Amino acid sequence: MQLVRIENLCKIYGKGETQVNALKHASFTLERGEFAAVVGESGSGKSTLLNCIGGLDLPTSGKVWLSGQDLFAMSEQERTVFRRRNIGFIFQSFQLIPELNVEQNIIFPLLLDYRKPDQKKVDEILDVLGLKERRSHLPCQLSGGQQQRVAIGRALITKPVLVLADEPTGNLDSKSSKDVIELLHQASRRYQQTILMITHNQNLISSVDHVFQVHDGILSDLGGAYV
Amino acid sequence: MNSYLDLVSLSAGVNRRNSRLTRFCIILAVFLVSSIFGMADMEIRCQKTMAIQEDGAWHAAFRGITREQAELISTRPEVDISAFYAAVNYRLDMDYSIEGKQTVICGFDEDFLKLYPSVKIIEGTFPQAPDEAVVTQSVQKQLGLQIGSNLNLRTPDGDVLTYTVTGYTGDTSMITKWDAFGIFLNREGYLQSFSQETLEKDFEYYVSFHPFCSIQKTLDEICAQLDIPETEVAQNTKLLGLMLQSDNDFILNLYISAAILAILVIVSGILMIANSLNTMVSKRTEFFGMLRCLGASPKQVARFVRLEALFWCRTSVPFGLGLSVILVWILCSILKYVSPGYFSGMPSFSISWTGLIFGAVIGLLTVLLAVRSPAKKASQVSPLTAVSGNAGTIREMKKPAQNRFLKIPAVLGIHHAGSSKKNLFFMSGSYAFTIILFLAFSVSIVFMNRAITPLRPYTPDLSIYSDENQPSVTPEIAAAVKENPAVEKSYGRYYADSVVLRQGNRTRKIHLISYEDIQFHWAEDALLEGDLQAAEEGKGILMDYSASQYLSMGDKITLETANEAASVPVTGVLAYTPFNASSGILICSEDLFVQIAGSQNYTVLDIQLYHNASEQDIEELRALAGDSLSFSDRRADNQEVRGTYFAFALFLYGFLFIIALIAVFNIINSIGMSVSSRMSLFGIMRAVGMTERQLICMIISEASVYIIGGILIGLLVGLPVNYLLFTSMITSHWGDSWSLPVSAVAVILILTSGSLIPAVAGPAKRIREMSVVDTIHEL
Repeated sequence: MQLVRIENLCKIYGKGETQVNALKHASFTLERGEFAAVVGESGSGKSTLLNCIGGLDLPTSGKVWLSGQDLFAMSEQERTVFRRRNIGFIFQSFQLIPELNVEQNIIFPLLLDYRKPDQKKVDEILDVLGLKERRSHLPCQLSGGQQQRVAIGRALITKPVLVLADEPTGNLDSKSSKDVIELLHQASRRYQQTILMITHNQNLISSVDHVFQVHDGILSDLGGAYV
Repeated sequence: MNSYLDLVSLSAGVNRRNSRLTRFCIILAVFLVSSIFGMADMEIRCQKTMAIQEDGAWHAAFRGITREQAELISTRPEVDISAFYAAVNYRLDMDYSIEGKQTVICGFDEDFLKLYPSVKIIEGTFPQAPDEAVVTQSVQKQLGLQIGSNLNLRTPDGDVLTYTVTGYTGDTSMITKWDAFGIFLNREGYLQSFSQETLEKDFEYYVSFHPFCSIQKTLDEICAQLDIPETEVAQNTKLLGLMLQSDNDFILNLYISAAILAILVIVSGILMIANSLNTMVSKRTEFFGMLRCLGASPKQVARFVRLEALFWCRTSVPFGLGLSVILVWILCSILKYVSPGYFSGMPSFSISWTGLIFGAVIGLLTVLLAVRSPAKKASQVSPLTAVSGNAGTIREMKKPAQNRFLKIPAVLGIHHAGSSKKNLFFMSGSYAFTIILFLAFSVSIVFMNRAITPLRPYTPDLSIYSDENQPSVTPEIAAAVKENPAVEKSYGRYYADSVVLRQGNRTRKIHLISYEDIQFHWAEDALLEGDLQAAEEGKGILMDYSASQYLSMGDKITLETANEAASVPVTGVLAYTPFNASSGILICSEDLFVQIAGSQNYTVLDIQLYHNASEQDIEELRALAGDSLSFSDRRADNQEVRGTYFAFALFLYGFLFIIALIAVFNIINSIGMSVSSRMSLFGIMRAVGMTERQLICMIISEASVYIIGGILIGLLVGLPVNYLLFTSMITSHWGDSWSLPVSAVAVILILTSGSLIPAVAGPAKRIREMSVVDTIHEL
């Protein structure tokens, strides 16, 4: 079942001599529960693609359809609410709130949506993430891998249909990186979530369902399991 | 944690250091507003107590009404207390005397004492029989009377009325100033002896009404029902005004003044708080971007920032209110101490709920208004700033820094200051605002010095003088006074008011007075033109400024009396003298005066006392004056004038000090915040080889741009405001022409440039302690 449809997505920064075509007519689709990766050199346009899909950045032209809804036909307010209910973000630098403990960081997106956290679900996520024992710890008391697991938990708590991960293992050692990818796999299988991940790490893309490459703003579909 | 807004309280602890300056701004704003309204409230309470003390607690007085009308008034339900009152020789013009001293006689019902607390019986009881009287303390002291003693009152017809003293009351300032006596009788005793002599306007029926009744409406009804003309009803307008029961707009004016001051404080508070909040928001751009990424709407982010600011109010507002209560207590105590006469009614340790309510409400309002712009700024943060990883560290610059003349750190500092025109405007604008306030309020100091005449050096504590300006104070009396150990200085003045001034063919009568050495010395301060020496040696004459309508410096004049004539030149012009005469006053030496007028006796002998002078010393000096001369004790008056002047000076200088404090604090605060927001950039600069000294130089040059901008805007706007206020408040009343307020400008320049040192010291310390590696890793 198709979840994401990208049509002719273009993003141009600047004007005249300083104009940069960051993304050139990118088009592709993602199925529900699919785990896809985007690879490419620095400055190739990967992050621009991810930001446009996540509704964080406005494309110059083109369309992004998520669950059958045109993301950029919505108002800013509608897009914000849609984003918090349907898209989860994972960042390279974790972006946890330092003054909140593990559990509070995870439930925070629910509170932004004025929803009461279901304690069973929270416990389940903490269990899956292996953070049950550390639920009351502050981010500064955790290792990098644990912090990224908290960030994954925070991205999953609203049960989004799409999780966008921008270099989620960029700040982690190889073991932690492996754990994180394994967790993302589990999530995509368990909750039927579509995951789109940007990565530089060639070792990580071997296990994904679909790989895209971006080079100078041009997106190419490298197909399934790429080694 | 039940709401995303709970994060506010959780992050408050973490951001405590960053929010320190903002919290201080809130405390300052609440403290100032609460203090201003608190003092206004205390002033109203003081005025009310003083009004009751001075003018009585009565609300209305009916003149010339009949006994029946008075009965009808007293039975009305709105009436609380009513009492008959009459007085004779109240203006000391009817020659009633006790032992040769002018005496005021009053008659009233005992209830009148409740309406006039100042006529309190200190000792003894209210007279019950027609031949009993209560006397003022001066009568008791000077005549050595006891309760039960008899005293004789001599009437203008030469009759003698004898009364038995039943008690004493305090002296009024009128009685001490004119050295008169006062006796008080009951209604029966008064009417028995003085009803014929009393002027109709001096028969009065005093009434006070119950609180919360409409006094004006009741008075209208009484006048209509009893056919009393409104012109025969006097109202205690000051007290009624203080009770909001009349058209007197005293309270309204006081609260309007407090409101204007509060608005000024609010504006500067808003600028300061907004400034620090804006900088804090800039520092946390990435955090707000992250909130947006997690699904927070712009409204939620704005709400978060607003709640965060309100959260700081939770501790800052009560703290500011507490400080204001303490300040109000201190100010009330100081005012009571320096001016017991003027501020005796000031409550000492009272809580002003008006001040607290205004402080809290306006404090919150200030924060809510100040947080509008930072909240909007935070809500507009793009979620992209969180994912881009370099939010807030690389600022958009429209043009590169130019370094043709200055070294690169200074150039960068200037460039940073000018990079955001809005920021530059707000920073310089907030400094400029306090400078404008300072220049505007400094006019009030000049106003105070003109409006409240401080005591002159020649102001006496006591005076011995002749009633009809006759030369009656003999050299023997002057010598005896000088010998009294309580006398610090005594100086006499000869006076003649019918000296003929001849100038060419023109003649006119003038007032001539003499000065001796001390007075010539004091006159130096008043000298506008010429010199004093010639006059002191008897070879010239001084004139006061009002004589310049017919005389000029250097004019040769002849002064003539029946005794002799003398020709002298005008050798000096004085701005003021101890006497005022519209036709002007001429001053000469004692020798020249004696030569012209012939008399060896002074008209007035002024006395200044040592601080430790006792009442017994005063009585001895009074005895020297004897019965033929008048004796005036001005110590209480002088103390009140001095106290009033100090009290106003305290208020005005205090307010100017607070404005200056706001300016200094604002500079320290905003520069500290500005540096905080650039710490990452400074880390990079340190990493690429910039020394601490160069970084500090960069901060100094950035701060200098804000300060110089503030001074320029402040002076450009403030000086015209100063000019306008000066011309409308001072020039129009006293004729002084406006000149550049050099001292105020100097204070501004010293304060603003001086605050650069503490403003830079804090950031410099943080730069020294900065870990380059950690700072860069934060990027």
